[in-house]
Formats: sequence, structure tokens, C-alpha cells
Amino acid sequence: MRLRGTRRRTAASMLALVTAGALSLAGCGSSSDNTSDSAGGGASASAGPCGTTKPTTLTVGLYGTFGFKENGLWDAYKKVCPNITIKEDDVEQSADYWTKLKTRLASGSGLDDVQGIEIGFVGDVLANHADQFVNWQTVPNAAADKAEFYPWKWNMATTADGKDTVGLGTDTGPQSICYRADLFKQAGLPTDTATLTKDFSTWDGLLNLGKQYEASKTKPEGSSFIDSVNSIFNAAVYQGTEAYDDDSGQPDVANSDGVKNAWKIATEAAQDKISAGLAQWGPDWNKAFSSGTFAALACPTWMMGYIQGQAGDAGSGKWAVSPVMPGGASNWGGSWLGVPKASKNQPAAIALVEWLSNKGNQVTMWTSPSQGGHWPSNSQAAADPSVSGATSTYFSGDPIGQIYSKIANQMKIPPIGQYDTQIQSDINTQLTNVETKGTSPSSAWSAALNAIKQVTG
Amino acid sequence: MTRTKRLRATLDASPLTYVLVLLVAIVSIFPLYYTIVMASHTNAEMAASTPPMLPNGSLFSNIHKALQVAPLNKGLINSIIVSSCITAGTVGLCTLAGFAFAKLRFRGNNVLLAICIGTMMVPTQMGVIPLYMLMAKWGLAGHISSVILPTLVTAFGVFFMRQYISKAVPDELIESAYMDGASTTRVFTSIVVPAVRPAMAVLAMLTFLTAWNDFFWPMITLNSQNPTIQVAFQSLASGFAPQQSIVMAGTLYGTIPVLIVFALLGRQIVGGIMEGAVKG
Amino acid sequence: MVTITAEPAAGEEISRRRPRRPRARSRGSRIAYVYILPFFVVFAAFSVYPWLDTAWVSLHDVRLSTYDQQTWVGLANYRNLLTNSFFWNAFRNTVTIGIISAVPQLCIALGIAHLLNHKLRGRTFFRVALLMPYATSLAAATVIFIELFDPRTGLIDWALHALHLPRVDWQGSKWPAQFAISSIVMWRWTGYNALIFLAGLQAVDQELYAAAAVDGAGKWAQFRHVTLPGLRPTIIFAIVVSTIGSAQLFGEPLLYSPQHLPDGGTQGQYQTLGLLMYQQGWANDRLGLASATAWTMFVIILLAVLVNLLIARRRQRRA
Repeated sequence: MRLRGTRRRTAASMLALVTAGALSLAGCGSSSDNTSDSAGGGASASAGPCGTTKPTTLTVGLYGTFGFKENGLWDAYKKVCPNITIKEDDVEQSADYWTKLKTRLASGSGLDDVQGIEIGFVGDVLANHADQFVNWQTVPNAAADKAEFYPWKWNMATTADGKDTVGLGTDTGPQSICYRADLFKQAGLPTDTATLTKDFSTWDGLLNLGKQYEASKTKPEGSSFIDSVNSIFNAAVYQGTEAYDDDSGQPDVANSDGVKNAWKIATEAAQDKISAGLAQWGPDWNKAFSSGTFAALACPTWMMGYIQGQAGDAGSGKWAVSPVMPGGASNWGGSWLGVPKASKNQPAAIALVEWLSNKGNQVTMWTSPSQGGHWPSNSQAAADPSVSGATSTYFSGDPIGQIYSKIANQMKIPPIGQYDTQIQSDINTQLTNVETKGTSPSSAWSAALNAIKQVTG
Repeated sequence: MTRTKRLRATLDASPLTYVLVLLVAIVSIFPLYYTIVMASHTNAEMAASTPPMLPNGSLFSNIHKALQVAPLNKGLINSIIVSSCITAGTVGLCTLAGFAFAKLRFRGNNVLLAICIGTMMVPTQMGVIPLYMLMAKWGLAGHISSVILPTLVTAFGVFFMRQYISKAVPDELIESAYMDGASTTRVFTSIVVPAVRPAMAVLAMLTFLTAWNDFFWPMITLNSQNPTIQVAFQSLASGFAPQQSIVMAGTLYGTIPVLIVFALLGRQIVGGIMEGAVKG
Repeated sequence: MVTITAEPAAGEEISRRRPRRPRARSRGSRIAYVYILPFFVVFAAFSVYPWLDTAWVSLHDVRLSTYDQQTWVGLANYRNLLTNSFFWNAFRNTVTIGIISAVPQLCIALGIAHLLNHKLRGRTFFRVALLMPYATSLAAATVIFIELFDPRTGLIDWALHALHLPRVDWQGSKWPAQFAISSIVMWRWTGYNALIFLAGLQAVDQELYAAAAVDGAGKWAQFRHVTLPGLRPTIIFAIVVSTIGSAQLFGEPLLYSPQHLPDGGTQGQYQTLGLLMYQQGWANDRLGLASATAWTMFVIILLAVLVNLLIARRRQRRA
């Protein structure tokens, strides 16, 4: 056994030497500066819609599930561009994916031809890595590309000076409130569209419904109105003029109107005791979808798929979607696809990303039953009848296409900063303390600011 | 040899010993058993308020689903290669070095040993970044070798072998071998190695499992086209609705080979432990 | 009473008959480097280099997002830690969880190794069973423990309720959470340490047990005067390694958090130094600060190891 190990070790080091030698020789000759943007130059018309006519393998770095493979998009692309082979490179958790991507970006090597960019770290990419990604405002189809998307979705992936766009949108997360219509009825709450449109249009209205639910004598034992006050906070915080950053892009949590307003509503909800105090994404929260421990939660379209996965067939027809979102419109989640300049197949990668974001494919991603609810970032796709007219039997036959279209069209989002994810996580932690441990909002607020200081330095 | 066997008989096991050891075995194995239970039900069944305690019939269909979402087979093969190489390298090189530290006198013995143990005391997580840069520079990033090389030797292994050798091989024995004209290599192969086989066996098992369990570094350097088993496990919780039973089934599928190896080789490896030091 | 002082092992009987001559060890010095070299080449490249790089980074303000912009800050990161309430909270938690999980674990491991050293039927099965916790995926095992300790639906609180005892919040309250995590750690690592002790036990010359029995020593006396001295290097090893392991504890508390967050509970009630470092380095992207934490842990671990070894030596002298 020792000999085998030695032999492998020798082989590995030989490989290392040879590779290192080859790389250094190659490095001498080629130009590796990123300023010469070959994206525009390479995608000449003669290369065709696939970006190249040569047999090429494209690596696509993704996290969680984008659902491209499951929805047959890779197979479909093979028919459109037979010379392109696609290899997916998945990391399940987007946090791990981001660590890996940061490492790759820092070392300048190991990047895939296409890299997913999630809303959780798009701020950081814009602030620190915009120059390492192909700028979609300079590609040959730039104008056509931009026209496809919701303006707010396009802007979220654009630098503050408006000159650099790092990705084309895939799915996005306009959100409403999903609720258990059967539990509402049992507790004597209204479930008709007209009343809910009025009651759910403001956060105060939601809180009132919550108090009504809690006070009800007929509601199920042990059931609370909302899963966690974080459903409220995270939805409300981006509804102001500022979220976690000030105008110049610096983190400024204490003075933000969005934060202050959202904090006020969330702590009020906590003290009104309308929350089940569950840790979102934890095992108890997962079980609660079928057990009815909460009756409502913040619900982007992809959450509908999650609910169906957790509650199963037994939940069909019990859930419903609110016709409006409190506070107007709000977004949770969403991604883009970017092409690192380090990619050796830029024209082909650009062509792939443009194809994936086109109207037809984004409609496919929505209508496919195997993955839950990818709302298109492509506004033309969203206008397609199969999207805008969609209804859901699982969700009591509600006109989900109409509901979410309206919300997506109304969307206004302040810019996303590079520390947003961590800041929000720290605030969420403190809000959980307020709702489950009776911590006073003021000490929770100082604890949150203290934790945020650890992030921003 | 016979004398040893008779002496060993003094360590006869009483019924109490059996009871205690059985208890330990049950506690050790229970979570694995429960993993089997969870893997053989569907997700909905597991969410029932009183969780089931006995396995059910959905095991193979869950495993089938798990194989569809995660590259488990690829991960298994890669992990077997990686763990075996690391084990072979570690046991071999650490025994060599441990012998030198324990029994040979040379300049820098204590300093080098101190550095070794010193590196153990600093968490290695932060070292992942410079390590990746190094691998990228050498063009190894993304290859299996980038996972094998960094842990091909461990301070743990050297320290372990050093302690064991210093204890299990008396100086006098080595001295008399030198007197008889043996070279250091001869001393190593004829005296030290046979005496430390139990330790080599234990180090092999622990190293194999440690390498098998490693997640963070393989996640950073490898791609999902070429994963180790821990990286492949990540894809089990895919989809907007991760199914606990699928995750458990896939995890089980990735752990069973290790168990089989240990069950089959256990006799060999453990036999190595039992044989102990060679007399004379 | 039997007193055993020499380190008993193979072949001692024979060598005692030979006259002692001055050691011809200097012969070893050149060839020693040949034995060390393969180890050190790999070790220097892949262990020492990152080790030193971490120290270098700890003296800078570095973020992975802006990795090429490293600002020299000297000891500022270390000063930050010393005045940081998160650091001291993590330090205290690490000490308490470490003591709760390591001390009983080592004693139990020694006991198990002693049990398994007997002539048992099904030896192989038991010894392989010992490693099952370590072989079981930590993520899978933690899920099971979380289920067990779940305040709402878990088996343990159900049992407490059945015994008319108050339910315990195993997630939210500090000591219950640390106890739960310690039980996961103990479950996972006891077999591992037991195997290490078992290997060490094999090196103890069986003849000494017979000699002790002949001299009238009972089982316990045999344990104190034959086993323990014979196991001394192994015990030292186990103490050092488990001190290091306890101080760097990271996987178990991370997976115990329902959302797998590194903040160790909503009030940091079970955030260990290892978790704090993970949070600083990967979640908050402050590599310089995290590296400083790593090297501060080095100092702490070094002191802890020295203290533990001193205690062990005192105990051994008394025994």
C-alpha cells in the first residue's frame, strides 16, 4: 500500500511540474490583461447565434437550483447549438458558492464560463468585482438585452454610476403574503378578495388581522398568525428610499428610513404576539407548513414551490395568495448570470446567457411543473398569457399571474449594498430575540448595531 | 507466542464487560440506525408527530432519487481514491518521520517537532485561501491531487507515531541491533515497523475517515464535475424543497461503502492491533 | 505492593543481559534527515506556508472581496479582539463546552479501551462500532440530535414531560444548548479516542500484568501501576490532541444551529472560538480579523495544553 501511495505521489508531482511549466510558457505569450474587452470583438456576426461554430464546452457555475437542467433547457440548447456542450458546476448553498466564487475571483483562475450571481452578493460583486465581469452594456446585443428586463431588475445588477451591468436576470422574487385560507376561515378571518385587498394593503392592516387571529377563540390550538416577524421586516425594509446604505453606498443602518420603519412594524408585531417565532429554513419551520403552526408568511413566487414541497398534496387547496402586498411591492430573492472576463469562451457564454434569459425560456421556467415558481425577470415573458394569466389550484385557484405581475410592475427598490446580507441576518437574529425571548426592542437594536459593526468594521 | 496467549487469558471478559461494551456499541450505532429509518420513509411519513422507529420500504426508491439529484457515484469513487492515497501517504511518511523524531538524534529534532505540533494548534481554515492560490499557480486547482497533497502528511500523524514509537520500541533493542551491525534502515524495517503495526493500523483508520469527512477544502478547490463524497452530498438538499428522507438516503449511500470496508478489513486491521509487538 | 518503574516493552528481557555501551547514535544524524525529508517537503509546502501566511494576513486588514488590497494594520486586529465582547463570549463558551465534553470523554474512552482490551467474543464488531460515530456524516448525526433535543417535538423533552419535569429549551438557553452540543461531541469523538488508547494499551507488556497478579495486585491496582504508566505517552498525546480539538470546535455548534448560521444561537450562547473565526472570515468577510482570531487561539491552545500536561503529570506522580 505504501508503494502505491508513493507512485501516485510521484505522478501527482510530475503532473504539477509539467503543468506549471506549460502554464508558465503559455503565460509568456498570451495577453492576459482584462482591459482589452474581447467580448465585443469576438462575437462577430459570422460566429452565428451560438457565439462560435467550433465545438466548445461551457462550464456554468450555479447554486441551489436554477432548474435549467431539470426543465430541459440544456437539452434544448443542444438542439439549437449542437456544437456547444454544457457542464454544470453546482454548489448547493449559495453562501458556500459565494465563498468559492470570491476565492476564484481573488486568484483570477478556476472561474466558470458562466457564473450565477445571487441578490445576496450582487452588491459586493458590483462594488468590488464589476471589472472582472463582462459588461452587458457593451455586448453587441446590449440594447435588445436591456429592453427585455424589468428596469429595476436591470438596475440592481448595475453599478452606481450606471455604466456597468454585470449580469442578465434569471428569476426574480416579487412577493405577496401566502396564507392558510382554511385556518383563516376557522379563526373567523375574512378570505374574500375585496376585504383582503383592503386589509393586506398596509402593514398596519396586516398587524390588525394578526391580532384578530390571535384573539380568535376558534383558531387551532398553538397556531400563530405569522411564521416570524422577519417575514415582515425583510419585506418592509426595502420599501423606503434607503435600505442599509446611504446615498454614497456606505452602510448606514441607524439613519435609514427603510430600516427604521421596518423595525418599528416588526417589533410591534413581536410585542403584539402574532408570531410563531420560528427560525426560517430550520427544521421546525419546515414541519410547520403541514402542521399549521403559522397561518401566513411572506411569499415570493418561489416560496409557493417550497410550500408545495413541504406541505405535500395534503395542503392542496388549503393555501391562498393575498391579492396585494402590504406597503405596495417587495422583492425577495432573484439571480443573474454573469460571464467572467477570464472565460476563454466569452462569445459562446454570452450567447448562452442571452438565450437563457430570452422570453421563451423564461416562460418555460415559469410554466414547468417540476420546479416551483421562477418568476421571470424578463418583463416580456411576464406579459405572456401563460405567465400573467396563471392560476394555481394548490393555492385555492388564485390568479397568481395577475397578482405577481402587478407587484412586479410596481417594484421600486433602493440600491443593494455590499454588506446587506450580513446586516439583514444580524437584524433578523435580534428580532428573533425580541419575539421569542422578550428582549426589549431597544436592547435588541443596540445588539444589532454592535453585531453589524463586526461586519462593516 | 504461546506464552503471550496464555497471559492474555488473564484479561478474560466478565458478563459485566459484555453489557457495558454492548451499551457503548448501541449508543454508537443508534444514529446510524436512525439514519436508515429516516432514509426508508417518505418525507411526509417522517413529518408525523410521533416519528417512526422502525425502517420502512422506501429505502431503495429514496436512494434512486438521491442518485438522480447528486453525483454520488462519482463522489464515492473520488473519495475512495483520495482517502486511500492520503492514508497510504500519511501512514508511510509519518511512520518514517515519527521514527526519526523518536529514536534518531539530529540537529533540529526538537525545533521541528515543536513546529509540527505548533501548526496543529492553529486552525487551518484560514489557510484555505493561500492554499488555493498555491494550487491555482501550480495548475492543480480542481484536480483530485489538490485534495490529496495538502493532507498527505499530517502533524497529527507524526506526533502520534512518535509517541507510539518512543514507547513501543525500547532504546536498548535498537542499541543492540546497532551493535550487531544493523543499518538504520534495517532497524526500521525489522524492529520498528513490526512493533508499531497496531499504531499504523489505528492511524490508517483514523486518517481514512478524517479524509473521508473533509468538506471545506474539497468544496473550495473541486468542481461538482469532480467531487468528493462530502461535496456530492451537498447536492442532495437541492431543489426548493429539500427532502429530508432523500438527504438521509443519499448520505447513507455514501457512508455504506466505508462501513463495508471496515467490516471486511476490520478483521485484518483489528487483527493487526491484536497481534501487538513481536517479542525478541 | 508492586512498583513498576521501567517502561516495559518487547525484548527488554533480552537486552538487559547485554552490557551497556556508549550509544552509537550519532550514526543516525545524517540518515535522520532522509527519513524526515519526504515528510517535511510536503509539510512545508502545504502546512507551514499557509500557517505563516495566516500570521501575515492577521497583521493586515484584508477582505476576500478585495484580496489584493491588503492594508497593514499591525496589531490592530489583535487589539480589536481583546476588547471585543464577541471574542470573550466565544472564549468562555469554548472553555465551558471544552471542559464538559473533553474531560468525561477521555475518561470514558480510557474505560472503553480497557474493556475492549479483554478477550471478547465479537471483538472486531465492537471495535468497528467504536468508529461508527466518526464515520457517520456529521450533518446527518446532528440532524438526529437536533430532533432528539427539539423543545417542541423532541424525545428528550417528551421524556422530561412524562416524568413531570419542566421542559428545557435546548436551543435557546445557554447551558442546555452547550450540554446538547457537548453530548454530540462526546458521542462523536469518544470512540476515536478509545481506539487511540486501545493501540497504546497493546504496547503495554502483558507479562507485567501477570507479574502484578502474582504479586497479589487486584484489577484496580494493576490498572494504576501497570496500565497508566505504560500508557503515558498515549495519554499525553490524547490530552494534547483533544485540547486542540476542543478549542477549535466548530462543526458541531455550526450544524446545531437550525439555520446553520455561525453566530452560535440568537444570543451567541454556544458560539465557540472556531465558530467566531468562521463567522468573521467567511460570513463577514474579514480575513485579517479571522486570522488574528486563529493565531490568538494558538496562544490559548498552547497555554491550555501546557496546563493540562502539568495537571496530568501531577496526577501521575501522585498515582
